[in-house]
This record gives sequence, C-alpha cells and structure tokens, in this order.
Amino acid sequence: MAPFYKYGFFGDEMSLVLAFVLGTGFGFFLERAGFGSARKLAAQFYLYDMSVFKVMFTAIVTAMLGVTYLGWLGWLDLSLVYLVPTHLVPQIVGGLVLGVGFVIGGYCPGTSVAALATGRIDGFVYAFGIAAGTLVYAEVFPWIKGFVNSNEMGQVTLPEVFDLPWGLVAFAVVMIAVAGFSAATFIERRIGYRS
Amino acid sequence: MKLPALTLNQKLAIVAVALGTLALFSVPHRGPVVTLDTRELAQIVEKEVDHVTPSELAAWIVQGRSDYRLIDLRAESDYATYHIPTAENVTVAALPEFPFLRNEKIVLYSDGGIHAAQAWMLMQAQGYRAVYTVLGGLEGWKDDVLYPVLPAQASSAERARFERAVALSRFFGGEPRAEGGAVAPAPMELPKLAAPVSSGAVSPVAPRKKKKEGC
Repeated sequence: MAPFYKYGFFGDEMSLVLAFVLGTGFGFFLERAGFGSARKLAAQFYLYDMSVFKVMFTAIVTAMLGVTYLGWLGWLDLSLVYLVPTHLVPQIVGGLVLGVGFVIGGYCPGTSVAALATGRIDGFVYAFGIAAGTLVYAEVFPWIKGFVNSNEMGQVTLPEVFDLPWGLVAFAVVMIAVAGFSAATFIERRIGYRS
Repeated sequence: MKLPALTLNQKLAIVAVALGTLALFSVPHRGPVVTLDTRELAQIVEKEVDHVTPSELAAWIVQGRSDYRLIDLRAESDYATYHIPTAENVTVAALPEFPFLRNEKIVLYSDGGIHAAQAWMLMQAQGYRAVYTVLGGLEGWKDDVLYPVLPAQASSAERARFERAVALSRFFGGEPRAEGGAVAPAPMELPKLAAPVSSGAVSPVAPRKKKKEGC
C-alpha cells in the first residue's frame, strides 16, 4: 500500500505538491520549536539549551516507531523506502563540516530557510551561503569525487550492519532517547540560563 | 497508596518506552511469502503491459537511459558469445538470490519468450513489481532490431518505419534486409560484441547510476 509514490498512487507532479505541503509543515514546526532563531540553535552547542537534541531525537523516535508499526501491520513496504547510500568516512567528514557551519552560522540548512521565511536577515545571509557553497562544491567535485564515493556501503540500516533483529534496535534507540532526554534535562538544570 | 503526579514529559517517556518495548516483537519486513493477486497479474498479462518491445529497448539503450536494469537470463557461455548491450548476466537459477532492489525496473530476456516469462512470474512471486520482459526475447531483438526486414510491397509508412529501423540496426552492428529481393538474406551472424557498444566494454555488472532520490 505504502510508499504511495512507489505504488503509483500519484505521479511526479503530485509528489512535488505534497513535498511543498510537507515542507511547509516542517518549516512551521521548526519555527514553533523556536528553531527560527540562531540564538536557540547555537545554545545547543554551549549546552545551556538542549532543545535541538530533544526535538530531533523525538522526530527520530517518532518516525522510527511509526515506520516499524506500519511495516509490522503490512501497510508499508520497507524494502521500497529509499535510503541514502552510506559512505561512512566521507559522511562523517561531511557531518563535521556541516557542524562547523552550524556553530558559525547559527543554522542548519532547514532552519535557515525557516528563519528566512520569517524575515530574519541572518537567515537570508545563510541561505545565500548555502547557494554559494553548493556552487563551489559543484565546481570542486571532480577533484574530490574519489573521496566522496569511497567507503560505499550501499543502502544499509543499523539492524543489517550489526546483524541484530529490527525490534531490538528499535527498542535500543528508544531507550537511548529516553536516557538522553533525562541527561539533557539534567545538563540544562546545571548550566542553563539562570534568569 | 497514591501514585506520584507525573509531568507531561514523564508521561510521554512512559508511552515511548511502552511503544519501544512492543516494537521488540515487531517484524516489519515481509518474509519470503507473499500473497499474489492472481486477477491483477492476469490483467497485467492481458493488457500486455508486462513487456517492452525490442525497438523500445533499443531506443532506451541509444538514449543511454539508466533507470532500468537489463538482465540476460541465458547461460554464461551464450552471454559471452552475444548479449544485448548493457545487459547483465543472471541465470534463472541465480535469480531468486540476486540482490535486486524491490523498486528497480527490471527488464528480462532469454532466447525466446518462455524462460523470461517464467522468470517474470518468479519475480512477481517475490514481490518485485516493476519487472518486464523483452517481447520475443533475443530472437525478437534479432528480427526487429539487428536484422529488420523491409516487406516486398512496402507502403510509405512501412518504408519510413524501416528507415528508422535501419539506423537502429546499424547502431547495434546489425544488417537490414529487404524481402523478396534478388539477394538472398545474408546468414544471420551475430555482431561482434565490442562493435556496437559505444561506451566501452560491457562489464557483467553495469555501473550503478545514482538515483535521483532522497535529499
């Protein structure tokens, strides 16, 4: 039954319309979570506001449990869900580069668009930086192509890599999340704002 | 005994732990057993949407399309002698174990149509939906693409179609024929493998192009 696109319930045009609706909803909730502000986002890295950690981990757990149960009920064919192929080392390096940009600019790509939509000038500058960075990346790509494509692991999931049952990994991620939320709350109380 | 009042966060944490614990027993991936909708399959066959014609396939190859995988189901030795350019060799016996992605468009061919049709059924039974066969198999490929025939009393429309077929035939190293002419049809030797392939040697496993998906 699902994924709807793969089963041909709608075509390319409709998928773009739905992407717009979903993207708008995503941006709305980013803004509602306070992520349209660079102060809130940068606070994550100074550990006095763990909202980013909590919101993102909540999203991961919610989506993971949703996918697990939908697959279990037979409503979602997990083998048809597209996964970004894993290239371990290049993606770790890429993640670090993105993290550095996150601290410097105060946004990640998604939240910068949310900030831009609410008229923040720093959001606009950041979005411009994304465009410029994309252009530079495209130009230097021929030189770093070998590295970018190295460490090919294909479309893999944690249960496959660790050879563990799906349910056990799902359970472990939930436990890590709950423990993480407790720890985050504890850290906030220790070094959070004292206002 | 009175239960201590819980904060919203604590309640949510309990819900998450409960759902996570239940997820321990989940089996979200379907096993090897699938239910086949026989009526749906029959309709696919009836409407003839389960195959591509050799000419269509030839056009795809010329265009360099990479949104499908062409699979040669014949024995390795036959594959080594000749195969349709860009084809990968997977015998019928090896098919159930071959790591296709379930959403890949897979085009199967064998010598005639029978093996490919049987393999098509096998793939359907494994839950692969986007599987097609080449109409007429390799024989159809020879007749329609490599050695197209101009009918003796051809209409202008037939002639126009033949002209296009000639271009395709030459591209793949074949030889067009005219029916009823004085010249007897040349012996149908299959073209040398290397000749028709424009983009270097054909490796058994074609390089996988990145899909335009994800972010």
